[in-house]
Amino acid sequence: MADVSLKHVYKVYPNGTKAVNDFNMEIKDKEFIVFVGPSGCGKSTTLRMIAGLEDISAGELKIGDLIVNDMEPKDRDIAMVFQNYALYPHMTVYENIAFGLRLRKLPKEEIHNKVVEAADILGITEYLDKKPKEMSGGQRQRVALGRAIVREPKVMLLDEPLSNLDAKLRTQMRAEISKLHAKLQTTFIYVTHDQVEAMTMGTRIVVMKSGFVQQIDTPKNLYNYPANKFVAGFIGTPQMNFFEGTLLKTGDSVTVKFDNSEAEITVPYSMLYKARPAYLDGKKKVYIGLRAEDVSLAEEDIKSSKSVIKIKVSHKEELGSETLIYGDINMDSDGYGEGPTRIIIKDSGEHELNAGDIIDAALKVERIHLFDKETEESVLPRVPEYNYIDCEIKDGKLKFFGAELELPNAVKCADLKGELLIPTDAISFDGDLKAEIVSCENIGGVNLLALELNGNRLYAVSPECIEGKTVNIGIDFKKITVISDGQAKISPMPELNEFACKFVKQKTKDTVEVNGKTKKKKVVHFGFTVGDTFFEASDETSQKIFAALGIRDAFTTALKMECGAYHLSVADHGIAAEAKELLDYGTEKFLKCMIGDSAVYVKCDEEYNGSVCLLPDFEEVGIVETERDIKIV
Amino acid sequence: MSEKKKYRSKKGAERASLVAIYTILTIISVIWLVPFLLLIVVSFRGEPVGVTADYVFPKQWSFNNYVKLFTETQFLRWYGNTLLVSVVVTVVQTIIILATSYALSRLRFKLRKPLMNLMLILGMFPGFLSMTAVYFVLKEINLTQNLFGLILVYSASSAMQYYICKGFFDTIPKSLDEAARIDGASRHTVFVKIILPLAKPIIIYTVLSAFIAPWGEYMFSSFIMLGDPDKFTVAVGMKMWLDNSSLMSQGYFSVFCAAAVIVSIPITALFIWLQRYYVEGITGGSVKG
Repeated sequence: MADVSLKHVYKVYPNGTKAVNDFNMEIKDKEFIVFVGPSGCGKSTTLRMIAGLEDISAGELKIGDLIVNDMEPKDRDIAMVFQNYALYPHMTVYENIAFGLRLRKLPKEEIHNKVVEAADILGITEYLDKKPKEMSGGQRQRVALGRAIVREPKVMLLDEPLSNLDAKLRTQMRAEISKLHAKLQTTFIYVTHDQVEAMTMGTRIVVMKSGFVQQIDTPKNLYNYPANKFVAGFIGTPQMNFFEGTLLKTGDSVTVKFDNSEAEITVPYSMLYKARPAYLDGKKKVYIGLRAEDVSLAEEDIKSSKSVIKIKVSHKEELGSETLIYGDINMDSDGYGEGPTRIIIKDSGEHELNAGDIIDAALKVERIHLFDKETEESVLPRVPEYNYIDCEIKDGKLKFFGAELELPNAVKCADLKGELLIPTDAISFDGDLKAEIVSCENIGGVNLLALELNGNRLYAVSPECIEGKTVNIGIDFKKITVISDGQAKISPMPELNEFACKFVKQKTKDTVEVNGKTKKKKVVHFGFTVGDTFFEASDETSQKIFAALGIRDAFTTALKMECGAYHLSVADHGIAAEAKELLDYGTEKFLKCMIGDSAVYVKCDEEYNGSVCLLPDFEEVGIVETERDIKIV
Repeated sequence: MSEKKKYRSKKGAERASLVAIYTILTIISVIWLVPFLLLIVVSFRGEPVGVTADYVFPKQWSFNNYVKLFTETQFLRWYGNTLLVSVVVTVVQTIIILATSYALSRLRFKLRKPLMNLMLILGMFPGFLSMTAVYFVLKEINLTQNLFGLILVYSASSAMQYYICKGFFDTIPKSLDEAARIDGASRHTVFVKIILPLAKPIIIYTVLSAFIAPWGEYMFSSFIMLGDPDKFTVAVGMKMWLDNSSLMSQGYFSVFCAAAVIVSIPITALFIWLQRYYVEGITGGSVKG
């Protein structure tokens, strides 16, 4: 019955291994969250950090409104179910369930009622007098669940609870845990390596790999819109088919060409609006992903489809209700190994097929997934980060999509032709350009607006869905990038200013009032120095630094301060900096300064020259450990 | 047919090896038991003969040696001393060993590994190397010829015997500790309510070994108690008898044997009583199975 919030949570072992990297998540009350990933991906470590069984190296963990980073497990009001049940073998089932309540010194009668009630919910009433070793695996796991639910915790943590059970029991317990969640109305966090468990139980799923969160989304969205190749391959059985290939745009259609094969299909360009044009040149390699159920061998599909490819059958697996047909799109290969041309097809099993047969298969092009070959990120993200547009700059004017905009002073640039990158959140709704609204979609809390500017597609993120047919738009010039000849001619202003700082200890003699008398007393202050300027840190900040770095290393570790341009101001005291120039971005002006070797940008309307003092707003300042790149505050 | 023959020959071989094994075991147990039986038999000898009797069975069976032991000698006092020292040492040592083992098995602190290695290396030196030093230290603090001094010496290095016990604790799944800590237990509660009940076999083992060592120890006690027969332990007192040849020739050898029988009673009884816990596998069912 509580929210759980993880902010920049890291787990770093003393030998430097990062088990969990910058984990950020807001878990709402009553959610059923599943952490899933291959072994060693950090999912159990994250859960154990929430439980308090592992220390948190850096970051902030909140349960309800409380920061629980340093709280003992027993004070966090959580319960946990372990993979190996962890029942106390010398106690009976009743004592096992009652143990936590007895430690909390509840009256005997109340304990009895609670234990009986929990046993009733889980159907283990008749086993209450037995010892764990007299019970089967499924029953033991029920006892473990009972031990967790009698305490009525705020959060239930389950660490692969079904991994030790056989397949049939697992399916049954899966349903029972889901039922229990509905009944208890508590936040559940469930760790598993089994994607079927994740898909069937979770309201939201966190897919992890090597300590990094890959994607957090609902089961349906994970399946339909995987953010990268790993998620696409991990979710769904049989695994998604991946082929290597290229995309070539010709007019209104795009040709998808498969490598090492004759296969080639065409898709309408409208499907690839969100893709960066650079992918559509017929040269850049991409992974083409297609699920086994999105390939059809049915005759009517093949007749009506325009995307038919030839497949050489290698073998099949009869599963009763369906048949998995293994084949290859390369006629010279055999489809046994897991290569880039192997294809698995889910078929009804009506077709009589033999090894070596060459057959036609229709692909459902609207279900195709595309991933970058190097980064493995999706080429078609649901919420694109940038609009990629061919542009021209002439006489200080930016021309794209038939529109023309005067470039402000800060981004003035010589004449060129190149690619313009406009982040989707850099489109404002108060400019001079008129765009038509095509659609507005809410995707995971973000409103994505599809616009048409002189017949060209443009995406924008807006705080709310805008009604109407047309809208005035403008461009935030401090966020745009223009690339020409492989070089960035116009770069965006960095969102965060970074500059080196140090954590230090200062002793001062302060006058302190003791019993009405003023006395001089030595006081130790902790704080940060940037250059020669000292800023006292709040107790909370100092504690976080000590917790993350250790008391000895806190003063020697290289740190950097992160601060947005809006949270720095020119003042009469503060960090010494050298003012360079005033950048005019049209609607806003920023002062570019140098702190040592680092350039920083400050929101400022006046021109300054020479030395200035900059004062950060400490509520909004972040502290990052430089070497391991860990955000501490 | 040939298969059947093969099968038979296999069974025959098995039987032959069993016969061989049992023969060897019998011989070993005879060798092992004979001195003990001899001791019992001699303790019932009625006629006064020295150590060098050329026959085994007594010509005259009698309980006289036992009566003599408790009436004419200081044996009962020594026995009491030994019992007192052994019981106190057992309690202290068991507590120290269990606590050390739990800490080394469950807690992670900076010097854990070096400490374990140090104890292992120190344990490799025989205890009597430090005997002279220990004696002078005890003398300085006035604890020579004192049972408390003996207890102190016996219990002092208890923690170094953590190895077997820690090995056992390591086999108790950590998830039990974690489950209990989430259930609301402190480290201390985990130790007392979870670990100790599960560690019965190893506690028994620790108790037994902690009891046996001071019960039969001679070297330190002979040094520390030198010169005060009132504070002797049985081992020291009986060795004094053996060294006194005139006493031996007066038939005291039979009394000595009777004393030896009495000394072995508590240990034998302890073993018979606690033996069943030795084998009892108590962790069954705690984790998957």
